[in-house]
Amino acid sequence: MPKPLISRSLPTALLALLLAACQPDMPAEVRSGLVYCSEGSPESFNPQLVTSGTTIDATSRQLFDRLLDINPDTGEFKPALATHWERREDGLSYTFYLRPDVQFHQTDYFSPSRPLTSADVRFSFERIMLTEHPFHAVSGGDYPYFQTVDWANRVVRIATPTDDQVVFYLRQRDSSFLSNLATDFAVIHSAEYAEQLIEQNQRQRLDTHPIGTGPFKFREYRKDVFIRYYRHGSYWGEPSQLEQLVIDIEPNNAKRMARLLTHECDIIAYPRMAELELISKRDDVRVQQQTSMNVGFWAFNTSKEPFNNSKVRRALSMAINRDAILQAVYFDQAEAATSLLPPTSWGHNPTLLPVPYNPEAARSLLAEAGYPYGFSMTIWAMPIQRLYNPNATRMAEMMQADLARIGVRASIVTLEWNAFRRQLRQGEHDSVLLGWNADNTDPDNFFRPLLSCNGVDSGTNRALWCDPAFDALIAQALLTDNQTIRRSYYWAAQQYLAEHLPLLPLAHAKRFQAVNHRVEGVGINPYGGIDLSTAFKRPDKDTP
Amino acid sequence: MIWHYLIRRLFLLSFVFFALTCFAFSLGHLFPGDPLVNFSGISQPDDELLPVLVQQYRLDDGYLQQYIAFLQRILQGDWGLSLASQQPVLFELTQVFPATLELVAYALLISFVLGVPLGLLAAIKASHWSGRVISTIALLGYSLPIFWWALLMIMLFSIGLGWFPTSGRISVLYEIPSVTGFMLPDILLSGQTYWQAAFQDAIRHLWLPAFVLATYPTTVMIRFTRDAMLNVWQQSYIKTARAKGLSRSQVLYRHGLRNAMLPVMRQLGLQFSTLVTLAMISELIFSWPGIGLWLLDSISQRNYPAIQGGLLVISSLVILVNILMDVLHTLFNPLARKQANG
Amino acid sequence: MAKFQWLYHKTEHGPLSQLWASFRQQHSAVIGLMLFGFFALIALFGPVLTPYDPYLQNPDALLLPPSWDDMGDVRYLLGTDDLGRDQLSRLIKGASYTFGIALITALGAMFLGLLLGVLAGMSKGFRASAFNHVLDLALTIPSLLLAIIIVAILGPGLINTIWAIMLALLPHFVHGVRNTILQQLEQEYVIAYRLDGANNWQILRYVIFPNTWEQLTVLFSMALSTAILDIAALGFLGLGAQAPAAEWGLMVADALDLIYLSPWSIALPGLLIFIAVLSVNLVSDGLRTAVRKRQES
Repeated sequence: MPKPLISRSLPTALLALLLAACQPDMPAEVRSGLVYCSEGSPESFNPQLVTSGTTIDATSRQLFDRLLDINPDTGEFKPALATHWERREDGLSYTFYLRPDVQFHQTDYFSPSRPLTSADVRFSFERIMLTEHPFHAVSGGDYPYFQTVDWANRVVRIATPTDDQVVFYLRQRDSSFLSNLATDFAVIHSAEYAEQLIEQNQRQRLDTHPIGTGPFKFREYRKDVFIRYYRHGSYWGEPSQLEQLVIDIEPNNAKRMARLLTHECDIIAYPRMAELELISKRDDVRVQQQTSMNVGFWAFNTSKEPFNNSKVRRALSMAINRDAILQAVYFDQAEAATSLLPPTSWGHNPTLLPVPYNPEAARSLLAEAGYPYGFSMTIWAMPIQRLYNPNATRMAEMMQADLARIGVRASIVTLEWNAFRRQLRQGEHDSVLLGWNADNTDPDNFFRPLLSCNGVDSGTNRALWCDPAFDALIAQALLTDNQTIRRSYYWAAQQYLAEHLPLLPLAHAKRFQAVNHRVEGVGINPYGGIDLSTAFKRPDKDTP
Repeated sequence: MIWHYLIRRLFLLSFVFFALTCFAFSLGHLFPGDPLVNFSGISQPDDELLPVLVQQYRLDDGYLQQYIAFLQRILQGDWGLSLASQQPVLFELTQVFPATLELVAYALLISFVLGVPLGLLAAIKASHWSGRVISTIALLGYSLPIFWWALLMIMLFSIGLGWFPTSGRISVLYEIPSVTGFMLPDILLSGQTYWQAAFQDAIRHLWLPAFVLATYPTTVMIRFTRDAMLNVWQQSYIKTARAKGLSRSQVLYRHGLRNAMLPVMRQLGLQFSTLVTLAMISELIFSWPGIGLWLLDSISQRNYPAIQGGLLVISSLVILVNILMDVLHTLFNPLARKQANG
Repeated sequence: MAKFQWLYHKTEHGPLSQLWASFRQQHSAVIGLMLFGFFALIALFGPVLTPYDPYLQNPDALLLPPSWDDMGDVRYLLGTDDLGRDQLSRLIKGASYTFGIALITALGAMFLGLLLGVLAGMSKGFRASAFNHVLDLALTIPSLLLAIIIVAILGPGLINTIWAIMLALLPHFVHGVRNTILQQLEQEYVIAYRLDGANNWQILRYVIFPNTWEQLTVLFSMALSTAILDIAALGFLGLGAQAPAAEWGLMVADALDLIYLSPWSIALPGLLIFIAVLSVNLVSDGLRTAVRKRQES
């Protein structure tokens, strides 16, 4: 009977619609959860193995602790897993006194039988340093940050005289040592867990199913979908107010923004600058901003012709209309960069002048260098948005047009992110648009990974530039604690870079984050990864 | 006699499956890159593993032996590893396939519930304005590009009105262990204290994607039901029935509807492969973690073992549905049954 | 049914004009045909009609809204995209891609399908049965899946997707043509011709073809609407036309990032796809009704 069929199905449909439209009261376990929407999947759950900001954001401050931290406001060191520390007169050894009663995570794959001891600290660093360590080669054997700072050579050995003391013996003075220990990469793992994994013959799980001491513990990971963390109830510090933290992975910018607007996400990473104005008009979301220690730059592959010629590099740099880029790509939310170091760094050299925008001079300089008719080159542009470069493809397109004016024919290369990084590592690029986000307050953190000879080996030096004079300058800067002396070395280093231009610094970008108006307790860390342990959601009378 | 027909269908089914596996096998060689990598999914086999694999996959022998080895692996459940995640392809498929099935099932349900009555109405009131309105709406819906339609719906209902979420099957804060792979039953089975809220949340997530996906089959239903009904209405046995004095609705139901449903069902079987295509696009836009999204991701990652596996699963599904519809059609259609037996 | 149906060619009005008369009576079909013609014209002459070069970037005119908006500029009638390219020009150019290429694909599939369908319909025995089974298999692989596979093998690009869609449309033509032929072969007048001594080729040419072209046009119109949707869908997914091509589906995908800033960049290309498909469907419906009416008379 057709009529009854219709009259029967319509109410059912309406009921389903009503059911859907009514927003239920969220149950308590769910209400105290936070969803952070990230722009990509983590490469690993061990920050020691990576330098990618995406991985650090997802893992480092959530799952782990370090020996010491940096106060984001003052830039001073503050205790974390170490309550205090001493340095010997000659600067060749550092002793750390560990906090008592620090509990590791208890999960369904590991139950700790003891709190943190010096053995755990030793394990965490020896894995990196000692090639014969049972875990050294696990998960690839690459520790890019530590390789860049030459950890294995600088640290002679680690001693554990008692359960709560760890001593690091250095080969020579290193004023960046404490800063390096405060970075997001220097996390402390559980030696007990490692032993268990050796017995179970599943060593790689140390990096895929992590155990740390941090405010959250690992619960589950669905690749490219989400990561779920539970609160670590026995955290040594202030436990989080969130029972659950879910990191939702959404690489597509528009979708991520949509999820913020529909309240599926509470915090989103990298909101598009173009939409910030739109967001600020709505009252259910708000934008946070912070001057960040970062730099976006254009690196030349100095191991290839003609980019090994500094005149060519200068000519190319002079052809770029930086102001147009700041406006079109950064939407005027960034400062023009004269040096790698942002002005907020104590090592910044304010006497440097920016490379002038002068296409005619660029052309004649190019002719002088032996290329009167220009040449062809590639510009590699990242496919994803990063803090220091919100839209590399766009930037590359503008630079392509600028370069065409001086006779250089540039083509743009962009690949899927993992393939991009893989091929970049192999040095296939002529030039690349990249950047760097500071991990600590020390200027060494900018120069060493990006431009030192060590950085070439570890893959962080994309300009593939190895200059002994420059390396000497930054090495000298580490031999003293006197900031004035160090500053003079860094000024000299920046001067040197300004003359040789292995890379062209473009901009220092402000860091943005967009949050639901009910989210409190989350700021933007000027150094390193996001910290969600202090976040919480204000309860609201209305539905979320 | 009917068994002969069924056995012949079964034979056809097996033949088609074999042909499908042949095609899937050939892809291992057609895709760029090393066939060993394409089949096994191990991106860098170390020196010890390499000869073992070559032997196992019979890569040194002719194509026929390779195919047989391939078929054996498929039947044993070794579909290789995904190049992206290094997890077994079959395992990943069992995670994502139910999501697509769920979406398609609900879309089909909506299309039946809405499409058939509306189609009937359009046929009965063919000359009336109401019948024409329904036909027009059906035509409009039939012409919509689904990705555009989905985006419009999201802009209106999700971002504009805020009624529905834009992505996923359920809010990530709900932790529902996957038992059947289907969200609603899994919620009921989960035993979580918040299952009611989770259930409502899942329905909220289901509504927009199912509705968008249902647009096409609903319009197909409306149009075909209407056409079939109009066709049947003209038939002599209807006129006979009416002449016999049966009421309109009796005629409609007893003779008209049942006979009209047959070509509709048949058409549905044929349109199923289009529906699967549309489901894949919907999954992309709504971030619905089904096999379509998985396959589309696999292609941008050049994940060849995954593409092979996805092809096998999706094509098998479509073939099964086709044959099923065919069988049902024959079973219920006395004329076709006669043809089948003869 | 009229007894002397096979002598139709002796009646006053040829079947074509009968069909046209029947078609013309349906207003919706005529509107569809006019729209269809409009799109075909634009597809053909579009590149000449565009006010600007569709690929020209104007950095001074980024993301302008359509001219009727306050911030719009009348020089850019429908606004610009985020690289400063004129939307109107790109939409016009897009007709050649989405509509034009779809036409080519559907025509190609039709000719090939005709060939294969005739073979399938006229042959008998095991070969025919095996062929029909393969056909059934081919009918079941979704066009998108086929395109994905072809793209995985050959790489993305417009040419490869043309092949993919043609391959996907082919089985439907073959199926339709074969069924029509089989149906025709059962007719009384064919038997009569055979008894007269006509061979296969003659039957094909004089009896079957004249009766099947109507069905063929209906099939063609259905295939065309599928082709347009498929090309746009593949363009949207990035598997078809590649940037900076102005294909409508690709334009929607490109504009996704700008969904909040310029919703018209998504609405307009999608609307054109919709109207193009609608016009073909209107014509298709009109044809089917006209054919049915003619057969009934």
